Amino acid sequence: MESTQFNTQILNLSDKLFRLAKSILRNGDAAQDAVQELTMKLWEKRHQLDEVDNIPAFTMRSMRNLCLDTIRQNRDEDDLPVEFENIEPNPHQQTELRDLATRIRSMIDNLPELQRTIIRMRDVEEMEISEIAYVTSITENAVSVNLSRARQKIRDQILNEQKRVEETIWK
Amino acid sequence: MEMMNELLEKYFRGETSLPEEKELKHYFSNGNVVPEHEIYRPLFEVFELELNDKATSPLLNVIPKQRKIKQIWIKTFAFTGIAASLVLLMWVQLPPTTDNYAVINGTRIDNQEFVQRYAQKKMNYVNAMLKDGLKPMQRMKVVNHTLQPLNVIKETHDKMIEIEKTHIINN
Repeated sequence: MESTQFNTQILNLSDKLFRLAKSILRNGDAAQDAVQELTMKLWEKRHQLDEVDNIPAFTMRSMRNLCLDTIRQNRDEDDLPVEFENIEPNPHQQTELRDLATRIRSMIDNLPELQRTIIRMRDVEEMEISEIAYVTSITENAVSVNLSRARQKIRDQILNEQKRVEETIWK
Repeated sequence: MEMMNELLEKYFRGETSLPEEKELKHYFSNGNVVPEHEIYRPLFEVFELELNDKATSPLLNVIPKQRKIKQIWIKTFAFTGIAASLVLLMWVQLPPTTDNYAVINGTRIDNQEFVQRYAQKKMNYVNAMLKDGLKPMQRMKVVNHTLQPLNVIKETHDKMIEIEKTHIINN
């Protein structure tokens, strides 16, 4: 793969790769480092990329594997600081739609790694189930099951949140 | 509304297709959401918001570094080539040197007078050699001169034959 092709195909995925890395690592700086590291590795092996059929899916899969390796390495040392906001419900803020959005982001970040990766690849990146299956190295059926579980968990938490708000108001 | 209810249930079961999910996103973003569905609006809003999450430092910082190194090498080779060409051009176009010297028996001699005398001496030597060389030729001349009496004999012989012919005729 020539440098022009590399720029077109790999560097154009940088934001998508960053979002995936940030979702897995739950840390913006660590995600940025991971994306840089992956880009360098792919640049060094750019001539082998000609044999890859689906470059975006292959790159996303490599990104996820690299992030999982980072998590494994950090488990032995210091855990990566998790940046997601775990804001405690505030009666005044709960009425605001924007704050609920922040809460929902936090709910997604609290899902198991596989589920939060799948829900974001589907609902944010709008990827096909087959592509998600390739990136996560599981079957399409397993993707659908995990997607359903993730969405159901979020729905339950939204409904609980709503219930708690209503209870706070009527007290 | 009934259709949207069904679509939402299908969504949370993880059974919707990408076009159906786009329809849901469009429904929650256009402002005509029925109050019963309002609770799910932040969820779909979050997906749109997360798309704005971009890599903090562009990846272009990584690759051009290598390209810059390559460019430096290219420039170095180009400048070296140009410099070498200029040196060659100057050397070719330089006026012939004004220093006069001769090499005698492997030694550089700058003394012009000495060289001229040396050359004259050598020329004289060559002349002398030529003269000696021509001596055999002079000897040949001597031989030729010495052999002149033989020519007299031939002339005498010819005259005798002529006299004899005259005698025969007279008889």
